[in-house]
Amino acid sequence: MAEALIVRNLSRRFGGLRAVQDLSFSVNEGETVALIGPNGAGKTTSFNLITGYHRPNAGSIAAFGRELVGLRPHAICAHGLARTFQVARPFGKMTVLANVMTGAFLHDRTMDGAREKAHEAIDFVGLSAKEHLPARDLTTIDQRRLEMARALATQPRLLLLDEVMAGLNPAEIDQAVALIERLSQRGLTIVIVEHVMRAIMAVARIIVVLDHGQKIAEGKPEEVMANAEVIRAYLGTGFVHGAVSGAAQC
Amino acid sequence: MIDTLAQAVVNGLLIGGIYALVSIGVTLIFGVVKIVNFAQGEFVMIGMYISFFLAARFGIDPLLSLFVSMPALFVVGVLVQHFLIRRVLALGDMPQIFLTFALSLLLVNVALLLFTADYRTVETPYSEVAIHLGAIYVPLAKLIAFGVAMALSGTLWVFLHSTDLGKAMRAAAQNRDVAMLMGINPDRVFAVAVGVALALAGAAGSLLMPFYPAYPMVGQVFVLMAFVAVVLGTLGNVTGALIASLMMGIAESLGIQFVGSDSGLIVVFLMLLLTLALRPSGLFGGWLR
Amino acid sequence: MKAKRPAPGWLWFGAPAAIALVLPLLVSSAFAIDIFIRVLLFAFIGVAWNLIGGYAKQLSLGHAAYFGLGAYTSTILLIRFGVSPWIGMLAGGVVAVLASLPIGALCFRLRGPYFAIATIATAQVLMLLFLKFRDFAWGAEGTTIPNLGNSPLMMQFDAKVAYYYIALALLAIGLVITYQIERSWMGYYLVAVGEDEDAAEAIGVDTLRIKRQIYMISAFLTALAGTFYVQYIYFIDPNTAFSFNVSVEAALVSIVGGIGTLWGPVVGTVLLEATSALLQSWLGSGHGGAQLTVYALILIAVILWRPSGLLGVLTNAYAHIVQARPAKREALIDG
Repeated sequence: MAEALIVRNLSRRFGGLRAVQDLSFSVNEGETVALIGPNGAGKTTSFNLITGYHRPNAGSIAAFGRELVGLRPHAICAHGLARTFQVARPFGKMTVLANVMTGAFLHDRTMDGAREKAHEAIDFVGLSAKEHLPARDLTTIDQRRLEMARALATQPRLLLLDEVMAGLNPAEIDQAVALIERLSQRGLTIVIVEHVMRAIMAVARIIVVLDHGQKIAEGKPEEVMANAEVIRAYLGTGFVHGAVSGAAQC
Repeated sequence: MIDTLAQAVVNGLLIGGIYALVSIGVTLIFGVVKIVNFAQGEFVMIGMYISFFLAARFGIDPLLSLFVSMPALFVVGVLVQHFLIRRVLALGDMPQIFLTFALSLLLVNVALLLFTADYRTVETPYSEVAIHLGAIYVPLAKLIAFGVAMALSGTLWVFLHSTDLGKAMRAAAQNRDVAMLMGINPDRVFAVAVGVALALAGAAGSLLMPFYPAYPMVGQVFVLMAFVAVVLGTLGNVTGALIASLMMGIAESLGIQFVGSDSGLIVVFLMLLLTLALRPSGLFGGWLR
Repeated sequence: MKAKRPAPGWLWFGAPAAIALVLPLLVSSAFAIDIFIRVLLFAFIGVAWNLIGGYAKQLSLGHAAYFGLGAYTSTILLIRFGVSPWIGMLAGGVVAVLASLPIGALCFRLRGPYFAIATIATAQVLMLLFLKFRDFAWGAEGTTIPNLGNSPLMMQFDAKVAYYYIALALLAIGLVITYQIERSWMGYYLVAVGEDEDAAEAIGVDTLRIKRQIYMISAFLTALAGTFYVQYIYFIDPNTAFSFNVSVEAALVSIVGGIGTLWGPVVGTVLLEATSALLQSWLGSGHGGAQLTVYALILIAVILWRPSGLLGVLTNAYAHIVQARPAKREALIDG
């Protein structure tokens, strides 16, 4: 299987803080990989590095055969990587439809074409009824849906989702998981940063665990969750001898 | 030649002290409240007029009037923060910029209406006195102004580093959200920041009166210098603003001396553009040091 | 992309256009025509500013740079080389576009207030340069342009009304350009940049490129206004051409009227100029500072009360009164 994303020896410091240290992992095409770790582990920073918002101090990032380091975010998006932000950032002055159309314009500059692609993405995330609402009037969860629709409208090959499940109730989590599964079935490569274990176990083929900017474990979900290092990172040394239950939310 | 150079440097240094008072105020407000106060110069102007009227009506020396202008402008600052600035904090860059800009426009034109465009000056016993250091001619009024300016800057520095309120201001400047979580009341801190900044502007005005005329637009010249110094010294960095102001004063003075009497401003602007082009974050890093 | 409008589209263009076309025929006072010309001209400058400042929210306070470059280019070509100001106008536009490239490259790396300060500085530097250089640009005294009588080919007319229609044409061009951009992919990209640059980059918007492009268009149009102004008042000097007041008014009319909307700058200009005219008739012209004091108060009021500008208030009022619909908030962009 071809590799969609190869991260090698990625490092980034902010002043004295080593946010990401010598991180290496890869994602195969069509796979869903989860990036987990306690708060401050460097997950969102990794996303920012991959999508071009920060420049790494060292290391390389290659996606679909092309080196990404040094490219600006818009070029990385044009190359096929789309991302959502941890706190949704809709264009408040525009409606849902206009927001998503802005994403669609990347590949189709015509109004009709972009509108069509936007409708598709909006239908997919289930926001059709609210198409003409101003983005600033949406609930937080709908804003997240909007964020995802907008990202999908850019026709990505690799989607990076940053904590899309935060604050969702169990029913909503199931919906979100179903969405991710459908995307995966379409062949999309997905990397998710998540804390909600239930969702991770459901969608991720591989889990990469970060702590203090470093990778401390990588592998299939069952292996990783039984890993002593991982348990120690999340829960402290006292818990190392018990296994982490699938329903626990860290 | 050396003498001319030294004289120019001294001239620049002395006026740089005044620029420092204005620019420290701008950078303080930007660091703590995260707003650019385009009206800072107008508060200098107000300080000047206060001193002028105290001198003209009651014969009070401008240096003494510091004790009036500074507290008066502190109160004005608290009011401005409470009634104007507070309302636009959540609105984003454009309304904020335009609010202080409109305030500037308002103050200049109200002054024009009230006082006309006439230059007002104050004569003091020491206005014409100068000290001679070797071949260098140091006007006493400017020297006093410089001294008081440095004293005030030093006091501010101590305040920021040694008092709880000062530390709260630095904390709010570095990370407002965390500061709030730690129990710091942002409104109070902002009010003090704006009050102090305006008090410093008022001080600059009073210190200027012995050797500079007051007129409605006088603030605009100083605020320009202040802005360049603030950018050069890194937005939010008080020490940086001080050092950069002194540098600006010297650069302007050298420009006037060696390039042409109308070239002071060009030199300053070019410095600004160079800074923005090469090192937009300024020469020094960090917040409110 | 249409703003939600309560009335059919053609009415919004047709009515003002019809009024504007016949207005000078109904009014004969030269003083009134002069006011109308100023309104049209400053509305046009406001429209030009609005492209970069209103839609993309890049708060330029230095547009006078392009106004002045346009004015000086056509004047230099006219006086030194005898070139018709019609051509000079276009040449001025080209000069402005060329200038906008390095200025943009420098200023767009900065955000928020940094950007504004940098734009102020560039306009001031140009003013200072033109004040110094007597050789090709007449220095601080400026110059008058030779009075050639009624020569349409040299953009000089005896009839004031001619200037009115030229200014109207310029405004119409500005509005048409804005309208076309607004309803194209470029309009969406501009608003996206204005709302959230980082989020825009994440969906493939080359924010630097689009800022540069719209800035060029904005600079070009502003320069045209500069040429017109010189031809109208027959005089130019650096203080007028690169005046900070021009930069301020360019932004002011849009902010008061409605940033990022098609008609905002027009509404703002009409309001501000009407206020100014009223003040002049009440107070006479002896009260220096009265006019700007009122401007400042209006601006403060708008910022505190309706930061997105007054156009929204007007359309809401219309919707509320005429159609008994609940008021909506500021300009909405729909797909």
